[in-house]
Amino acid sequence: MNNRFIVKPELCTGCRSCELACSFTHAIDGVRALTRITPIDGGFKDLWVPVTCLQCDDAACIKSCLVNALKRNPVTGAVELNHEVCVNCMACVAACPFGCAVLDTQANLIVKCDLCGGDPACAHFCPTKALVWEPIEKSVKKTG
Amino acid sequence: MNIKNVKDLNKIKKETLAISKKHPKKVLVCCGTGCIANGATKIVESVRDGLAKRKLKDVSIEILKETGCHGFCELGPLVIIEPQEIFYTKVKPKHVDDILDKSFLENEIIEPLLFTNPVDGSKITKYNDISFFKHQQRIALRNLGKISAHDMKEYIGVDGYQALAKVLFKMTPDEVIEEVIKSGLRGRGGGGFSAGKKWKICKNIQADKHYVICNGDEGDPGAFMDRSIMEGDPHGVLEGMMIAAYAIGAKEGYIYVRDEYPLAVTHLEKAILDCERSGLLGENILGTDFSFTIKIARGAGAFVCGESSALMKSVAGEVGEPRAKYVRSVVKGLYDEPTVLNNVETLVNIPTIIRKGADWYSSIGTKKSTGTKVFSLVGKVRNTGLIEVPMGITLREIIYDIGGGILEDRPFKAVQTGGPSGGCIPESMLDLPVDFDSLTEVGSMMGSGGMIVMDDKTCIVDVAKYFLEFLVEESCGKCTPCREGLYQLHKLLEKICAGKGEMSDIEKMERLSENVMIGSLCGLGKSGPNPLMSTLKHFKDEYIEHIKDKKCRAGVCPELITYEILDNCTGCMACIPACGYDAITGKKKEVHIIAQDKCTKCGACYAVCNFDSILVS
Amino acid sequence: MIHITINGKVVQAKDGEMLLTVIRREKIDVPTLCHHEAVEPSGACRLCMVEITKPEWDGWCDYVTSCLYPAADGLIVNTHAKKVNELRSSILDMYLARHPKSPEIRQLAAEYGVLKTQFEEVVDGDNCILCGICTRICDTMGFHAISMVGRGHGKEVAPPLNMAPTACVGCLSCAKNCPTNYIEYNMENGGLTIWKKDFEMVACTECGKTTITKEFAEYLSKNRDINIDYFRKCDECHRKELAGTMGRISNWDREARS
Repeated sequence: MNNRFIVKPELCTGCRSCELACSFTHAIDGVRALTRITPIDGGFKDLWVPVTCLQCDDAACIKSCLVNALKRNPVTGAVELNHEVCVNCMACVAACPFGCAVLDTQANLIVKCDLCGGDPACAHFCPTKALVWEPIEKSVKKTG
Repeated sequence: MNIKNVKDLNKIKKETLAISKKHPKKVLVCCGTGCIANGATKIVESVRDGLAKRKLKDVSIEILKETGCHGFCELGPLVIIEPQEIFYTKVKPKHVDDILDKSFLENEIIEPLLFTNPVDGSKITKYNDISFFKHQQRIALRNLGKISAHDMKEYIGVDGYQALAKVLFKMTPDEVIEEVIKSGLRGRGGGGFSAGKKWKICKNIQADKHYVICNGDEGDPGAFMDRSIMEGDPHGVLEGMMIAAYAIGAKEGYIYVRDEYPLAVTHLEKAILDCERSGLLGENILGTDFSFTIKIARGAGAFVCGESSALMKSVAGEVGEPRAKYVRSVVKGLYDEPTVLNNVETLVNIPTIIRKGADWYSSIGTKKSTGTKVFSLVGKVRNTGLIEVPMGITLREIIYDIGGGILEDRPFKAVQTGGPSGGCIPESMLDLPVDFDSLTEVGSMMGSGGMIVMDDKTCIVDVAKYFLEFLVEESCGKCTPCREGLYQLHKLLEKICAGKGEMSDIEKMERLSENVMIGSLCGLGKSGPNPLMSTLKHFKDEYIEHIKDKKCRAGVCPELITYEILDNCTGCMACIPACGYDAITGKKKEVHIIAQDKCTKCGACYAVCNFDSILVS
Repeated sequence: MIHITINGKVVQAKDGEMLLTVIRREKIDVPTLCHHEAVEPSGACRLCMVEITKPEWDGWCDYVTSCLYPAADGLIVNTHAKKVNELRSSILDMYLARHPKSPEIRQLAAEYGVLKTQFEEVVDGDNCILCGICTRICDTMGFHAISMVGRGHGKEVAPPLNMAPTACVGCLSCAKNCPTNYIEYNMENGGLTIWKKDFEMVACTECGKTTITKEFAEYLSKNRDINIDYFRKCDECHRKELAGTMGRISNWDREARS
């Protein structure tokens, strides 16, 4: 794991570019998919919070999956959902305390953030750098 | 009884032989399932009471033997008096006193109870003079009908467990395997794979555990050789398993017996218990490092559970469905460990092969199919029952010499071999030497050894329909070609038998059969169309006759036949009440008439007519 | 890594991985009705059969179900050989006779040129193709609530004794993965009925939305060590809660800085 995904709500303007980027990146056969990230009103003036999977260390979604469809990618650190294996039982959707596994009703698939396999599109397209994908050393240095 | 070493074993053998010598006069009552169904249990009681009355109670155990099956079940209960070898058939309890007084105590023969030769009506006294037995050579059935089935000492008396001692002390596992390979013994359950090679593959696989399983899930209709062996010679089966276990390095074994064989289960349980108590099963058998245990697994009687992978699932407590065997069960079998699965008959041959040597065994039979094979000869022959004959014997010898020919001297039509997945062999091939390869060549198979003889009154399309119906019912239903394909084949046959067949149906059946054979998951489906394919191959005329002429020459298919009353009708009026549909009218002493619109072709009139006045055409 | 040839093209494969996996990875379309990645392959539908051979087999070839046949070095696979296609049409023809009303079967059969069955159609038949995906998923998930019952043509999927299965938690995985959408269930008024068993759904404490049954939530909490409180809210309300928490922190930060 070299990089880390960082969300900075204070920089988010709620423009929803991240949603579009995510939706197109995960499109199936040219049909846009449900976004895995979404800016939500943080409850204060001009404050938007881009909500997406936190890739928890002790992830409830992994624990809840009875068919081992959810596995952590050792390279990116993301918890990835294998759609071929998933049986749509909704256990992860119900178990995630942050609501970050979601049923895409149009594709009839459960979706969650997979960090685009190591190059998150949302971070690329965020105009205000509220979403960043940066080397771990850098973020550690900055935050101390 | 304690058998800690070979010395103990030989001591028991000596004692048993001494007792037998002391009491040469014996009464042998067949206690196979067939004879018990005919009342053998009562005969045994009567003999025991009779011996007690004659002050022979103390030695009754030495005199009275409850033996295994002779294979001649239709004539049971059977009683044999030794040493004269007098063979009595259809014995009733009321005959027992007579038998004891005249034949046992004196040397007199009771003529009415003797076997009547169905060919010429003559009476035959001695067991071995009867053509049914005379032409047989018994290796697998060696102890059946000779010793008390549930008595371990008697088994030891006839060289029992000597083969085990021989392998444990004089042979390495590899030598045992080489000996079995050299003997040429092939799997008697139907596969025909070399038993020794199977052991070799299994032994050479590295694993925590190896298993030996004895397949006693005999499911072919009319076949009962494995049942008879398990009932009549349970120790023979156990000894064969022990030798197999020693050869491949197994510590655990299972005998899979269907629950319809309660007597086999009882006798095997007793035999296992006797072995455990005496030390022949368990830790350090005969004082060596070899340890082995045997458990009985009871099957619920599904035909498909005779298939190796389904059987192993059933033993493990799962639903008995086969799996694809691209990885063989000798490699990954019971509980995913390497497993040798041998049929009852295969295993019971092993001790004799070890004792007498591979060369002796391979001198019997043909080059590629050595030894003997047990068949269950049934159908339209005079003598029916279990027979053991050397491989390579012709069908004609089996049917005419042993079987005594066709009932009522009717013409022979076909013989069906190999059970429901086998095929029909026509008259032109009666001189075919019976072995694994020749039967396969003519579109049939050895199978477990069923042999059903048919005469001209058997409709070949109806036979194919019967076997397909059996297979449709017994298909486990897991894979599509077997479940749906056999069902459709059966539907097409029904259509033909009902006179609604079309010529295109034949081609349709041939194509579907081919796809079912290639596409099915296990042997049941892969061989399922065999009864149809082999009859189509040898009896296509009859199919065409059913379809084009709407005729069933055997007079079997109800939709294709008519019942008429001939002019020789005496007007006895017997058929009138027999007809459940009031189709027959007529006055006393006048020729009766069948109203065709009312006739359901049930055959009831034909059955009651004493004057052959009913014509089926 | 080993090499096998599929339809003339040499491809890499892991030793022992199933042929179907390799075929699908190569984006070759081989139909299946009983295959699901969540469960062990069973080889029931027989549609994934392919022709295999090896140079040393002297022209002899075999037909195997690719879902269960392990890849081995040098194997030559033909996924659409003439005999294979014929076999597939024949099997689909059998399916069509048994389930003439199933749209899924009709569509797949049509793809293989079977528009009408040449066999006798089963009247009043149902659309259960006995693929066993439902029962195998149920077993894999550890519930064992339903199984195959009976054999042959009369085989069916059913709970024990055909009564509401005690082991069922109402996860609906059987119904959602049925290739012919045959398994029925009814979800209304915060309740669910499947296999004749009634369930109560967990309603979100904020908005009332339902996701899974109470029994399933309790099962997961108990057997998979997940805090039962996690199940009280729906995903949407959880996201709002997270936004609220993060918003508060960011707001402190913002106020502290200004």
